[in-house]
Amino acid sequence: MSTFDFLLQGLLVAAQPMNLLYALIGVTLGTAVGVLPGIGPALTVALLLPVTYRLDPAGSLIMFAGIYYGGMYGGSTTSILLNTPGESSSIVTALEGNKMARNGRGGPALATAAIGSFVAGLIATIGLAFIAPAIVKLALVFGPREYFALMVLAFVTVSSAFGDSTLRGLTSLFIGLALALIGIDQLTGQTRLAFEVPDLLDGIEVTTLAVAMFAIGETLFIAAQGNTGPDKVEAVKGSLWMTAADWARSWKPWLRGTIIGFPIGAMPAGGAEIGTFLSYATEKRLTKHPEEFGNGAIEGVAGPEAANNASAAGTLVPLLTLGLPTTATAAIMLAGFQQYGLQPGPLLFATNPQLVWGLIASLLIANFMLLVLNLPLIGLWVRLLTIPKPWLYAGILLFATLGTIGANPSVFELGMLLAFGVMGYMMRVFGYPIAPVVVGLILGPLAEQQLRRALAISQGDFTVLVTSPIAAVLLAIAALALIVPLILRARGRGEVLGQLAASED
Amino acid sequence: MSLDHPNKVEQRRPDWAALVIAAVLVAIAAVIYLDASRLREVTGYSPVGPATVPGAVAVVLLGLAIWTVIAAFRGDFPERERQEVGPVVWIVGGLAAQMLLLNTAGFSIATGVLFAATAAGFGRRKLWISLPLGIVLCLVVWLIFAGLLQLSLPAGPLEQLFL
Amino acid sequence: MKHVFIASLIAGSIALPAFAADYTIMAPAAPGGGWDQTARTLQTALQQEGISKNVQVVNVPGAGGTIGLAQFASQQKGKANALIVGGYVMVGAILTNKAPVTLKEVTPIARLTGEYEAIVVPASSNIKSVADLVDALKKNPGAVSWGGGSAGGVDHIAAGLIAKAAGVDPTKINYIAFSGGGEALAAILGSQVTVGISSYGEFESQVKSGTLRLLAVSSDQRIAGIDAPTLKEAGLNVVVQNWRMVAAPPGLTAEQKAAVTADVEKLAKSKTWQEALKTKGWQDTYLAGPAFEEQLAKDVAATETVLKDIGLVK
Repeated sequence: MSTFDFLLQGLLVAAQPMNLLYALIGVTLGTAVGVLPGIGPALTVALLLPVTYRLDPAGSLIMFAGIYYGGMYGGSTTSILLNTPGESSSIVTALEGNKMARNGRGGPALATAAIGSFVAGLIATIGLAFIAPAIVKLALVFGPREYFALMVLAFVTVSSAFGDSTLRGLTSLFIGLALALIGIDQLTGQTRLAFEVPDLLDGIEVTTLAVAMFAIGETLFIAAQGNTGPDKVEAVKGSLWMTAADWARSWKPWLRGTIIGFPIGAMPAGGAEIGTFLSYATEKRLTKHPEEFGNGAIEGVAGPEAANNASAAGTLVPLLTLGLPTTATAAIMLAGFQQYGLQPGPLLFATNPQLVWGLIASLLIANFMLLVLNLPLIGLWVRLLTIPKPWLYAGILLFATLGTIGANPSVFELGMLLAFGVMGYMMRVFGYPIAPVVVGLILGPLAEQQLRRALAISQGDFTVLVTSPIAAVLLAIAALALIVPLILRARGRGEVLGQLAASED
Repeated sequence: MSLDHPNKVEQRRPDWAALVIAAVLVAIAAVIYLDASRLREVTGYSPVGPATVPGAVAVVLLGLAIWTVIAAFRGDFPERERQEVGPVVWIVGGLAAQMLLLNTAGFSIATGVLFAATAAGFGRRKLWISLPLGIVLCLVVWLIFAGLLQLSLPAGPLEQLFL
Repeated sequence: MKHVFIASLIAGSIALPAFAADYTIMAPAAPGGGWDQTARTLQTALQQEGISKNVQVVNVPGAGGTIGLAQFASQQKGKANALIVGGYVMVGAILTNKAPVTLKEVTPIARLTGEYEAIVVPASSNIKSVADLVDALKKNPGAVSWGGGSAGGVDHIAAGLIAKAAGVDPTKINYIAFSGGGEALAAILGSQVTVGISSYGEFESQVKSGTLRLLAVSSDQRIAGIDAPTLKEAGLNVVVQNWRMVAAPPGLTAEQKAAVTADVEKLAKSKTWQEALKTKGWQDTYLAGPAFEEQLAKDVAATETVLKDIGLVK
């Protein structure tokens, strides 16, 4: 049988009514658990995996695919509506998405996220089916020095894209980098800044920091404004649905986000959040409406959401072709696959085509179900905003702490949640941007470790950092991204300056 | 927003809050530097060891602190909106109470207290309504997540009734 | 089957299942890892075999299991229905983290499963055997970069032991720690490092497809189905097993300990457990009683020595 026949057969099995129902149940469960701040896709899949064991193999594979995509998508809803991203990969979504929701444009924001996720998931899943072997070759070329160069690029592009003051943006970033130092140094096993506190040995959990700074910091900040504003937010201003202009501004970011997210997800040390950062920075540079960035630009939701979902499918590339779990979620999925008798690895596509194509068909169906479930729900989700503030924010804190307690029921973790929440509030008061702190916490250790690995392998020779062509190109792009705006500004080109004003000052 | 400062024209008084922030940054830099200096340099073959990056972060934080001081004297900090302390105290108190009560009173009561305190922070001070409401809501949440989904949420006297 | 599932969902939402847990198993790690999977497999097997009616799993992640261990030793003292999953990784973590609570503070019950370390090189490498590797190490230890898991973990310890057995200064090994086996595998496949060292299971499919060359395994005797010499055969007296165990809290009476041991033995011999081992690809290395305690003491002593040799513990 040819590739297409296998895929067709898989789709026929997956499209049976009972299996569609399983897909719907999986997507619903995945979204319901994934929507909780602090419970990321890894925990969602781990919690719900046993549910699928009770079904026949085809049904359970489909439900599993549904849970996976549902869990990946769930975080964006709370990011947009409540400014409380549940996991690191939906932080960027909150930046523009929540501003849109505040302006009564929550409907279009949710819609562009859902459709963008669908488009990205569709393209990336097809990519998984047909170009996985080629992508994986590219991913393996990436060694420590190439990753280091990629991290440098991520730092440069991201730091220029956040906040309206260079001083405060940099300060936030370095506070994040300082927090990232806490814990056991992975390369020498020594503890840094843990002060003999065992709970600090593993460092600061990204989700704890994100939930605290966004959900709790935001709640405190809103509460401290007193009862001046209206009790409710006007949920819908204009159209609930995306307008023609919204479509026109969304489709390119969807495609660009997919192109950025898919290969980064496929890289063994990439991570979904880096794709979202790069996508956001790209959209901010390319947009025709720079003045809207920071105030609710739809491109800033469409791109990162597509990147996020494309990288979720990208993660499956090394998992299926190499048996290489590159994220916690993938490690749990590996355990799940073994349950279905699927042994990921280089021989999988040859020895077990039915199951592989069954899985890919399941992913396509699950992706479609996600759209079916979420588009009609948008009206309902937006109505969340009409809950009176006291009950809405009480509920947000209930679910934010539930997520943290569920992931790690420790008093110390709740203490950190409180401390970082207060810090997030203070930073809001003094006009410091929040996102760079989380970015620093995520990128800092990656950059440091890859640099030290590269130098250890070369036995201290710094020139290796630029002698790899990929690393050299990435570093050159980073240098251009840093220098070009400065030159343009020095020359005082009015038009470009105006465009850059949003990001520089 | 940084283009026109209403207070710029008035006078060049330093922004005391910004000076405090600068002091905090210096303190963080000092802690990182002291901690890094006690690390053993078992670097192996990499000239960049476990203490190098902490050292660099400390130096940059120090630089940012100086920059912050300069900005404070130039009045470059944005004007702050007036903050009400009461609501913040209510919510922080609620979070602290939840943290302390969690292991003894269980998830529902501890989180119910947080729920009521948050609502109070937003002006619903009728605790005899919000507290029971919060506890019942949290109990339902507990039954769904701990009961059906096997999430490990601490059980207290209230949850024991359902065990 | 499907109706049963839907019915159980509905039934579950109306009448919640009574969860009087006979056993509570602590997995001192986040969901998804090896210990968590061991705990959850134990949960299923204990219930299906009717050894325990209801079993709950609690995750307490952090610091190589030492946080969970400390909490378990203090909070579950004297409770005969609490178990903790642990393993060899804990031995190293306790030493490098200078953890206040050690394995002496719990009651080890039995070793359940284990994995052996495998030493691999990319298929294109000019290192063809352990002898080649030893030669390269002796010539310039810095030029041989080892890719494996975190510093002070099993992989690092095994690399140190190999260097020592080969007569090379263990502090001179160029060990590159990666977060988890997956990232290390990618670095080995991409020829970023010279040699890879990790559990055999991490490399199995690559070895079978011929992209990696298996030089040796760290078992005492050859393993059925694996075409490679042991390190011993290759002239290096190194045996390392990354084992997983269950332990009970401190302060149990002799009868309580015997009862728990009997339950665990029943489980280890059961069909459900044996089948689970097979689907997960885990080796059955069941060992209980004084023999296990003796082995544990030996492992702790050997690990302490090698960590000092590598320079990770003073």
